Amino acid sequence: MLKQSTIEKVLEAALSTGGDFSEVFVEDKFVNSIELQSSKIEKSMSGRDFGIGIRIFSGLQCVYTYTSDFSEASLIAAAKRAALAIKGGGSGILQPLKRELLTPIHTITQLPNSVEHARKAAVMKKANEIVRSYDTRIQQAGIRYLDEVQNVLIANSEGTLAEDQRVHSRLVIQATAAEGNEMQSGFYGPGAHAGFEFIENLDLNHYAGEAARIAVTKLGAAPCPSGKFPVIIDNEFGGVIFHEACGHGLEATSVAKNNSVFANRIGEKVAPDIVTYIDDGTLPNEWGSLTIDDEGEKTRKNVLIENGILKGYLIDKFNARRMNVEATGSSRRESYRFNPTSRMTNTYIAPGRSTPEEIIAATENGIYAKYMGGGQVNPATGDYNFAVEEAYVVKDGKIAHPVRGATLIGNGAKTLQKVDMVGNNLAHGAGMCGSVSGSLHVNVGQPMLRVSEITVGGTKGES
Amino acid sequence: MEIQQFQEKLLHSARNAGFDEAEVYFEKSSSFQVMVFEGEIDSYETSEEGGVGLRGLYDGKMGYAYTEKIEDDSIPFLIDSAKANAEVLDEDDGADIFAGSDRYIEHSSYNEALDSVPIPDKIDFLKEVEQKTRDYDPRILALNYCVLQDFSSEKALTNSKGLSLHDRSNGLIVFVSAVAKDGEEMKTGASVRLTRDFQSLDADAIAKEAAEEALAQLGETTVPSKQYPVILRHDAAASLLAAFTPIFSAEEAQKGQSLLNGKVGDVIGAEHVTLIDDPFHKDSLFGGTFDGEGVATRETVLIAGGVLETLLHNRKTAKKEGMNSTGHGSKASYKGTLTVSPHSLYVAPGVKTEMEMIAGVPEGILVTGLSGLHSGTNPISGEFSLAASGFFIQDGKISVPVKQMTIAGNFFDFLKSIDTVGSDLKFVPGGCGSPSLKVSSLSVTVE
Repeated sequence: MLKQSTIEKVLEAALSTGGDFSEVFVEDKFVNSIELQSSKIEKSMSGRDFGIGIRIFSGLQCVYTYTSDFSEASLIAAAKRAALAIKGGGSGILQPLKRELLTPIHTITQLPNSVEHARKAAVMKKANEIVRSYDTRIQQAGIRYLDEVQNVLIANSEGTLAEDQRVHSRLVIQATAAEGNEMQSGFYGPGAHAGFEFIENLDLNHYAGEAARIAVTKLGAAPCPSGKFPVIIDNEFGGVIFHEACGHGLEATSVAKNNSVFANRIGEKVAPDIVTYIDDGTLPNEWGSLTIDDEGEKTRKNVLIENGILKGYLIDKFNARRMNVEATGSSRRESYRFNPTSRMTNTYIAPGRSTPEEIIAATENGIYAKYMGGGQVNPATGDYNFAVEEAYVVKDGKIAHPVRGATLIGNGAKTLQKVDMVGNNLAHGAGMCGSVSGSLHVNVGQPMLRVSEITVGGTKGES
Repeated sequence: MEIQQFQEKLLHSARNAGFDEAEVYFEKSSSFQVMVFEGEIDSYETSEEGGVGLRGLYDGKMGYAYTEKIEDDSIPFLIDSAKANAEVLDEDDGADIFAGSDRYIEHSSYNEALDSVPIPDKIDFLKEVEQKTRDYDPRILALNYCVLQDFSSEKALTNSKGLSLHDRSNGLIVFVSAVAKDGEEMKTGASVRLTRDFQSLDADAIAKEAAEEALAQLGETTVPSKQYPVILRHDAAASLLAAFTPIFSAEEAQKGQSLLNGKVGDVIGAEHVTLIDDPFHKDSLFGGTFDGEGVATRETVLIAGGVLETLLHNRKTAKKEGMNSTGHGSKASYKGTLTVSPHSLYVAPGVKTEMEMIAGVPEGILVTGLSGLHSGTNPISGEFSLAASGFFIQDGKISVPVKQMTIAGNFFDFLKSIDTVGSDLKFVPGGCGSPSLKVSSLSVTVE
């Protein structure tokens, strides 16, 4: 993507004012997106994202610059301009670049840009038909197809030179149901670090059917009661709550500056024995997986919490300096436009022993959150709030009736302490996670689990 | 390669490849961002970026493609991709290439003086803000964000119908968030400024605002969960409005995804609610003289005295209803396909100050912050359920900060139940603005 001699000159120019580490990240990414609305393919877009990010460290100082101008002269100039912000001791020396031969751990059989649009459109139309034929109250279906082939080259002054190709495919299905004056929506967005084979092999009846079922179920659902309840959170995308409320607090981005409730607590008990929390970027072809991270480090399985004990954090090279520890293969960025930092990949709560039936049967008066919506957390405090896409009231050990407008409100660290049952049905769900280094492909995951008490915000008032 | 040369080459190649009409949209920007932590530069970023988007009519259908690699190599990629993207469309979607408006309002969203502020001055200013925030009170533990960001950008639209437009803009944003700690309790408070005038920034005022906001929230108490009269402070109100902007899009309405479909001329808000989109508002950093299709922009009144006057249109949605575009054809960038969105949407201010509004409430809630806006709002149904921070109002006075709350309701009901509009119009970084708004009743759940 760039000549090795150019890369070397840029890395050297970046160290010219005394920086002790420099890095070049080259990205050449091809994307396609197609949208279906009102049973017609309405939008289709293709593009090529291209640019170069240059990063320089001097102790605990970090400078980042990026440009789409790829001529050698302007890259060297950009590196020199960025280096002006560094007043270093002059210790940085460029090590000879050693090209690393990577064995890709995520097999791709059909590169999406080699597949004709017509085949992509055919899958979308099939998904559309499944949504529309689900129920007469379905009023609209929106199907979005996305693929990306991201080629990266990462080189740094420590001698790293690595190239990688990341391929992502996703189908996003949205169903709208209407009755009288009321409109409700349902959503499902399966995705993988894979090519078109993933889209072609998707169980559309399941995913499109579920999107439609969620929208219809919410129609006429009673307003959710508010108050404190035991809450059963279902598997797969249910994991978003711990992603937001605990996962972000375990990223070095928060921990390094003591802006996290989990800072300086390695070895401490932060959760009940039944909770083990893992971030694993190596899971084959999962949406959040990578062969190497955006600093060129191999991804790995990082155990964050083991049987309730805090074991580790997600750490990038820069925060590793502040924290005086090793990086964990967790440094990520949306694109060359972002300075990378520690982020999650596929994060999940490990399976426990309870069956889903046992968990529901053991709950007298609670809320069952079958599909979670998105949410937000204040990483400094761990306070979170989450919308529940599809929720039910549980009465006397049985799922009673659907409710809408449910929100879960609480504090991540406290909620973690209150997990009292962990199911045996681990599954992962694809999502996009937005934070300091941009919007990234991540999986969240968990088995069904129960929290003994969460504040539920609803529109019905206290019950 | 020179951009003008590339644009011409691309238009020429498009015509040779069988496109009937074509448009090339170019954007370029440079930006600078610095973050400060404990007196040191924590992150420092500069950038130069840009790209080109091609939009062309092929066999009656509009094909799109873009590239950030501006070189000859990219021309076949753009042409082939745009063609393939046109071919996969199910039918002519009514979009066209525009020959131009009769008149474009002259307005500059660019201040040359801002581009010439030396970087060290900006860094020193931010360090001063951080120091003053930390020194404000011993309970201020740290700043979890202390950022200054500025940008300078230009865009150009050229098409085969002879239209050639050019616009520039710049702006600067300062955002600080202070963490206050008392015992085990931790609270954050933020302050934000948007400006094109660096000299107008006041470090003392920014520090005071962030620190006091964080400190004021210490000592949180729980109050009963129930329906309360609620005042949404200007920033909370503006962020709620921002989350619901899709309801005003004619594109969403025509798809059956906005409940405002067919409601033009109807009363949809309380009588003192006026909603305006102004591409030239002095307090917003968003806007411009032409939209994503090259249509001239102007001030548009969406709601006047509670009555829905119009939805926002681009040329395609306007054609469907036999009217003219309102100048809201939008592309997120050269990467975007054409859609509809406001420039700077705001609620027109009333006469009462925030204090006067509070004074009129015997028992209620003042909301000063909302979070979870991308997940807790549903623009289709209008429902929202959002984490809120704020204060309990008793006997017309702020009494105590309230533990984490959730406010829930429906935006369409919210518009109708606004009984007081404040005088304190402010814009949030996303481009929406509002004064403080009071509604008679909203469901509030306290943790």
